Amino acid sequence: MAAVAVHQFAECITCHAWSPDQSMVAFCPNNSEVHIYKLFGEKWEKMHVLSKHDQIVCGIDWSLKSNKLVTVSHDRNSYVWSQEGTEWVPTLVILRLNRAALCVQWSPKENKFAVGSGAKSICICYYEQENNWWVSKLIRKKHESSVTNVAWHPDNILLATTSTDGKCRVFSTYIKGVDSKESESSSSDLKFGEQIAQLDLSVTWAFGVRWSPSGSILAYAGHNSMIHFIDDVKSNPSAQSIPLRDLPLRDLLFLSDRVVVGVGFDCNPMIFTADDTGLWSFTKFLDQRKAAPSSSRGSQLSEAFGKLYGTSKQVPSNDTVEPSKPRGGAHENCITCIVPLWKRGNTTLCRFSTSGLDGKVVIWELDIPK
Amino acid sequence: MEAEEEYLEAEENLEAIITRIEHKSRKIETLLKQSKPVDALKTALEGSALKTRDERCKSANWIVVHRAVMAIKDVDGMISSLDPEYYDILMKYLYRGLATGDRPTCDQCLRIHEKLTEKAGLGCILRSLSDTVNTV
Repeated sequence: MAAVAVHQFAECITCHAWSPDQSMVAFCPNNSEVHIYKLFGEKWEKMHVLSKHDQIVCGIDWSLKSNKLVTVSHDRNSYVWSQEGTEWVPTLVILRLNRAALCVQWSPKENKFAVGSGAKSICICYYEQENNWWVSKLIRKKHESSVTNVAWHPDNILLATTSTDGKCRVFSTYIKGVDSKESESSSSDLKFGEQIAQLDLSVTWAFGVRWSPSGSILAYAGHNSMIHFIDDVKSNPSAQSIPLRDLPLRDLLFLSDRVVVGVGFDCNPMIFTADDTGLWSFTKFLDQRKAAPSSSRGSQLSEAFGKLYGTSKQVPSNDTVEPSKPRGGAHENCITCIVPLWKRGNTTLCRFSTSGLDGKVVIWELDIPK
Repeated sequence: MEAEEEYLEAEENLEAIITRIEHKSRKIETLLKQSKPVDALKTALEGSALKTRDERCKSANWIVVHRAVMAIKDVDGMISSLDPEYYDILMKYLYRGLATGDRPTCDQCLRIHEKLTEKAGLGCILRSLSDTVNTV
């Protein structure tokens, strides 16, 4: 019920994604390349190095059905890679951005992908069959600062975004010719770029927005160590904000409509569960540390504050600050990315992987009570 | 238009806020005479008008909270009997106290800061530092 496998791939990993059969992992080792490794028995072998970008690749997503990789980078470009034989062939997507791209995600139907950028805008890209290229449509209005994360609603039309202006917004990305008109949605929502909702719960930067599998709950993390859950965003939003005891979260994942995993600066995944009434609360940390929880907390804090509290006696100290010691968990540095690993035939997710600034990709497995 | 209305509303309420703080101050003096420093602190923290931008209100409330904070002798006991809803706001006032540079105030605030961090965690510190809307 914890870390199943730990793989050290590089000094630092920006983001990662898994192939549809989960035999290969693609990640960016904090430079302008994307490395793809394949597992042969017990050993990982580097299969491909995709090096088309000029700057750090900050977002990778691997589509599960069409087996296409999309990468976005600080160089304001995006490439869609398709596997032809043993080679990965890139197709440039002109995003028309004048600032870095920060995040990317394929839509559930994989006919579109969304890119969040530092240009305070989102790009919705779709494939135009006649011209054999990817077209980018921008949503320029509303955002007051960089868009840090994007999340697609299961209906393939609504997109939630979080931004460094502290707000979480939901937009419609309906594109004529790409999306079919659903009879249930009202025609007023369908206009491309229309803002459906704006959530003003966080006074600080917002990260890690995700929809629940049914699409009824939206969750995102605030940089002030809080996590927000919003029910029924479209018609009658009701929010719950939970203050966290420790450091802020960077990314979230819904394992089911009642269970959320949050990862961030604590280097340890946190589980949140909702009870039968829909009330969310923090359940536990996932990683079992070697030291007992109470003593490790005391030692961590006295390490950090020891010098501060000690200097009230006016003792001149010449010693330098000690580097932070490894805390005995799977990850040794901030976890920045969490990716689901669906098992064929399962309706609830119980496996996922995390990657962080320590260069590790860790696979976790849980038993989820129904 | 909306911002203007909010501002006018705040103006009217300023006098109400100052009166409430004076009221609190008297209650705190009574509690301290009865040797109930923890209740005094709770009273001081309760009903603090965090959203107002008026410096007089903030300073007036700070003076009241400062009085209660300096009267605390048993820090451990105080922390264990304080409701969790007060952690974030107490942390904000502790930082205000540390910012004064006054030796006795800083010593006391530091003492309480250590115990409060142990109890409430680093998240409490993060919230007090990053909140620019609800300030003390």
